[in-house]
Amino acid sequence: MDPQGRVWRWRAINSALLLVLGVIVILCTTIGPAPISPGDVLLMLLRKAPVLGSCIPRGDWPDSFETIVLQMRLARVCLAVLVGAGLAASGVVLQGLLQNPMGDPYILGISSGAALGATAAMLFGLGASALGIYTIPVFAFLGAAVTAVLVYGLARVGNRAPMSTLLLAGIAAGSFLSALTSYAMITSGENIHQVIFWLMGGLAGRGWDYVLVLLPYSVVSFTLMCVFARHLNVMLLGEEPAQHLGIDVERLKQIMLGAATLAAASAVAVSGVIGFVGLIIPHAVRLLVGPDHRVLLPASILTGAIFLVAADALARVAAAPEEIPVGVITALCGGPFFIYLLRKKGSAGF
Amino acid sequence: MAVTLKIIDLACSYGATRVLDGLTFSFARGSFTGIIGPNGSGKSTLLRSLSRVLKPAGGAVLLDDRDLYALHAREVAKKMAVVPQETAVNFSFTVEEIIMMGRSPHLGRFQGESEKDFALVNRVMELTNTRHLARRPITAISGGERQRVIVAKALAQEPEIILLDEPTSHLDINHQVEILNLLKRLNREEHATVVVVFHDLNLAGQYCDSLLLMQKGRIYMTGKPEKVLTADHIKEVYGTSVIIRKHPVTGRPAVMLLARGLQDAAAEGKRVHVVCGGGAGASLLEQLANYGYDVTAGVLNTGDIDWETARSLELKTVEEAPFSSITEQSHKENLELIKNADVCVMASIPFGRGNIKNLEAVILALDWGKPVLLMEEQKIEERDYTGGQAVLLYNELKNKGAVVNQDATAILDTLSLLK
Repeated sequence: MDPQGRVWRWRAINSALLLVLGVIVILCTTIGPAPISPGDVLLMLLRKAPVLGSCIPRGDWPDSFETIVLQMRLARVCLAVLVGAGLAASGVVLQGLLQNPMGDPYILGISSGAALGATAAMLFGLGASALGIYTIPVFAFLGAAVTAVLVYGLARVGNRAPMSTLLLAGIAAGSFLSALTSYAMITSGENIHQVIFWLMGGLAGRGWDYVLVLLPYSVVSFTLMCVFARHLNVMLLGEEPAQHLGIDVERLKQIMLGAATLAAASAVAVSGVIGFVGLIIPHAVRLLVGPDHRVLLPASILTGAIFLVAADALARVAAAPEEIPVGVITALCGGPFFIYLLRKKGSAGF
Repeated sequence: MAVTLKIIDLACSYGATRVLDGLTFSFARGSFTGIIGPNGSGKSTLLRSLSRVLKPAGGAVLLDDRDLYALHAREVAKKMAVVPQETAVNFSFTVEEIIMMGRSPHLGRFQGESEKDFALVNRVMELTNTRHLARRPITAISGGERQRVIVAKALAQEPEIILLDEPTSHLDINHQVEILNLLKRLNREEHATVVVVFHDLNLAGQYCDSLLLMQKGRIYMTGKPEKVLTADHIKEVYGTSVIIRKHPVTGRPAVMLLARGLQDAAAEGKRVHVVCGGGAGASLLEQLANYGYDVTAGVLNTGDIDWETARSLELKTVEEAPFSSITEQSHKENLELIKNADVCVMASIPFGRGNIKNLEAVILALDWGKPVLLMEEQKIEERDYTGGQAVLLYNELKNKGAVVNQDATAILDTLSLLK
């Protein structure tokens, strides 16, 4: 393929996904007890745009609708965008680094670490006064980050951390921390319901403050990943071959593991453990656009966002007025889809 | 400017185990060097150390007189490419995308591939005969094709040095030759320095200008293939007996295995004299020696194939000058050997005026009561250039009780039945 054609193809794919994301964000913002049309949502959004916004006439919707859309629903949808994007991006990077299509943001024990942190915060009310609503996210993030650093430290042999060792250390640490979490849960008694709900993952009741907390982490980690996307391609040849092609493998691994941990840990911190997004989305997108990370990463980020926004909408309406944890929805969709992929691809590689 | 690669007093360890020790060598610019040695002698370790992935425990690897391990990986990758034994890629990149990865060291962090890079990849695909695979996923091509693609990727690096670790050990003979010919061409035309770890001594002997023979983590010897590949050196390093011959076409040393395990108990101490010459007896001589018979041969013209075979097997022989008739002197010596033998075997040789005495010698053997076996791969009428005299003597042999056998295998069978 000539270089120009390839670049245009990549741009077309990402533009199309961006368009789908825009449409789905607006559609999902309309979902809820108050009947607000997609057109009105679009107008409300456009009116918020700088300069252009003042030229757009206000529709005949009540003021409360504007509050519902802009303050509540849109914040939640935007949070779904960032969380879905973060999990998918983290999945892409870990699958690439592990050269294993089974890679997942949680494979290094991040989810177990976050769960333990969050459980500790909920059950023992640690630091609640100082951190306010951020208590759980902060503890979850710390739990995840500390676990990732610990796992990397455990896997280190000399000045190298072989990916296979990293994988095993991650699994071991994950099991250990999950056991601690389970123990904490059964000894706690009354708060157990809250913990279980958090563990299943959900976005209910999260506002703009969560979005603003998550945003810088997402921007930093996505930027790092995309900068090193071409190098990540070369890593798929194996660590020594990548080194032969001039890549400082250990440093790249540290940067990418750091970025993937940041993306996943920050997402888990605000939303709880939402499974399968980081495993399924990279797979599905790879089938669509190929394995080149320069297109796979942005496309997965967008697709992860689209998927989680849609899944969260489903979580809201499927058993209304009750809400289903969105982690349940993603697992219900993700499990069968994964099996479908396995059956379809067989052992032919990904 | 061409790049030089040197090792000085190199030592490498895996953990506490010292794998290489005290290696000093200079890979000359534009040379084609083979690294050979038995399993575990440190060939691959040496290559890993040369390729900047295994930091030496002592000594140094110098690229252009600078410490290889002090240079940035990217600087090294611009000058040196590595082809591993086997490359597994789990993700379905196309062949073209894989080869394009070879451009990686030449691209800046934010730089995409340019037209120039695509043109180069195209040229490399032509060279390696992978053009037709360009759009195929790397996961869906054969092992031979994949290895060609990996070589193409290495070439896309525009390296001045290429290191290869047994690049052809998983390939069919045609693909082996294809890849090695390609390397030879690059070596000759682009003056690339090529360093290859070889398992196959014949390939090493065929393609390399110089060889580095390793033994137990040290350099046993270095030099031209003719100097390194001798039966003695191989016996010493590999512990295996081989015959070294000059390749009939290339003149390079060719290594042939001796199936020593086939020794026959019946052969123990039995002396067999083989009447042969010109090449008709070479295979028979080798097999008899292999089975453990005490073999003598005559009358052989110096320089012919039977003579060379007998010499490399260190057999006792009667010699005659090239293309000369059997003299009275050598005839006598021949008879002497027959007298000392338990059995006399005559190969399926053509007869002319020059060697008709051989037939007379064998008739005498029968007269002395020695068993005589005739190997008859071709009818005597078809190899009689004496105008009928040889046929007469041959028939006399048969009448007197010489046993006719079709080929060397039949001779061996018959011999094992003789008391």
